[in-house]
Amino acid sequence: MRKMNIWAALIAVAMTALAASTVQAQEVQITGPLAGAPAVRHMRLYRVNRFNVMPSIGYTLQDEFARSLFVGLEANYHFLDWLGVGIWGGYNVAQIDTDLTTQIAGNAQITDRNRLSVPSAGNFSRQIGRIQWGLSAHLIFVPLRGKLSLFQSVFVDTDLYVIAGVAMFGLDERASTVTDGMRSGACDLAEPNGSPSPGCLATQTARAGRITPSPMLGVGLSVYANSWFGVAFEWRAFPFSWNPGGTDESGSARGPFPDGQVDGADSRTTFNHMFNLGFIFNLPPDQALTE
Amino acid sequence: MRKAWIAVLIAALVGAGASSSSSARAQDMDFSLDETEGGATTEEGTTDTATTEESGSGDVIGDLATSGGDTTATTSTRDEPVQREEAREEIYAVQQVYALRINRVEITPSVSFSLNDPFVSHTGVGLGLNYWWTNVLALGLNFIWYEGLESESDLGFQVRRGTRLSVPISQYQFGAHLNFTYVPIYGKFSMFNEFIFQYDAYIVGGVGLMRTRPVPVIDPEIRSFNFDIRIAFNLGIGLRVFVTRWLAIYAELRNYMYLEQLENLNVSLGNQRLDTATWTQSSLAFTNNVTAHLGLTIFLPADFEYHLPR
Repeated sequence: MRKMNIWAALIAVAMTALAASTVQAQEVQITGPLAGAPAVRHMRLYRVNRFNVMPSIGYTLQDEFARSLFVGLEANYHFLDWLGVGIWGGYNVAQIDTDLTTQIAGNAQITDRNRLSVPSAGNFSRQIGRIQWGLSAHLIFVPLRGKLSLFQSVFVDTDLYVIAGVAMFGLDERASTVTDGMRSGACDLAEPNGSPSPGCLATQTARAGRITPSPMLGVGLSVYANSWFGVAFEWRAFPFSWNPGGTDESGSARGPFPDGQVDGADSRTTFNHMFNLGFIFNLPPDQALTE
Repeated sequence: MRKAWIAVLIAALVGAGASSSSSARAQDMDFSLDETEGGATTEEGTTDTATTEESGSGDVIGDLATSGGDTTATTSTRDEPVQREEAREEIYAVQQVYALRINRVEITPSVSFSLNDPFVSHTGVGLGLNYWWTNVLALGLNFIWYEGLESESDLGFQVRRGTRLSVPISQYQFGAHLNFTYVPIYGKFSMFNEFIFQYDAYIVGGVGLMRTRPVPVIDPEIRSFNFDIRIAFNLGIGLRVFVTRWLAIYAELRNYMYLEQLENLNVSLGNQRLDTATWTQSSLAFTNNVTAHLGLTIFLPADFEYHLPR
């Protein structure tokens, strides 16, 4: 129901905009000195036949258990002013636990039913999944070029761009209890004092790395200070499937939840996204102009 | 309406060109009130395009204007489809603001989504009303209805199941806010060097109220809550892209800040469990509801008059 409402609203916005612009384009015939002239003369072309290198800092948004601070580098080449290709790479330099992780670490209740999911509350932050690095290859589409005035005193050139491509992310997750000698059965029974067995605790902190593919979509706004330097504000989304909490979430043919194993079946797709602040360096430093 | 304006402006140019053939040069411009007012009302708005041929002075702008005077010769040599309406475009040193806001009312239907609550998606439909008393300042109201549109994510359930912890959550019914809007940034975009879109970016902020209630997750068998009013402050930024002079699409990011009453994490024993005073936490929780709005802007009246010449 909620998705239907959202889609209906988006379609209504798009149809209204399309209808309004179409009517104008059909009925007005420009004559006079501007007939046939381009919309903009002597427009500065910041992208065509140029490379841009963009170091960036990115911060993931809406994470459930851990946020990531990415330091990244992007390189793009534009064979048209509105189309280019590029690659991006980022490394997570600071893994920041969310308040939810802190609350679970301090207050989680361990029972026979969830002993495998959270063998020890205090170690919960050591079982959650984390993004280690990311790489993407993408197309850059620049549909809008413009300028903006700030307080009617500062005027800068801008463009709005969309990126789409494929990415790979390096993940560090709780190791599967099916492989690597981990024994999920060690969590079936508590030790006599009520605490988990050492074997069960070992499953909580055992880590496994893997690489997962993901689509990469984004939108950004570039603001140019001069012909070779600018700042980019960028949002990227990269949904993929993983087990961010490191908990036992799935049931099995043997019975309902829990299935008594932490493995790939516990993964779910999350909508991961981040905000990037980039510093644009255009090469060569000089740009072309339109007629 | 557009034709009338074009006629007035052509007449103004002709009048100015006849009195001084060098009036297009920036260094000779006179921005006195007498000249501008006289130029804007010359010849009572008549449209005599033939007289534009007299304005050739050798300067670039003047020559461009002159060459555009013989429109019949130009259009007759082209193999073009039947044209329904003709608009003569002239060149001016400073263009007018695309859409004046002053003394106009703005109606803004929108949908909104919460961005920072992983447990509950506070989706709403909203309607805003702004009055612009200058081109950059507006005073307005906005109303958002949430009840029936919100949804709880799987995360809350999974945390409860996996960790035996319940996270107190809230439900919204509606929000109503008084806002000031200020437009410090405006500009235009060119799409493929063919179409031009005007846009502006604005700051919005104000105070209002939200009607919310806790959702019972700690002791749902006993507890139930009624909606109550909270005072809320809001601050945000937005981007408005004009499709026409009266219609725009806007996107806005706004943080609604208020003190929320949450469900008590402790359950009292015995008869005290039924005491409603024990159902809520003793202290209020400062809550940020970061919301994205996406919607339309409709300016009324749809048409407007420029009070200054180009």
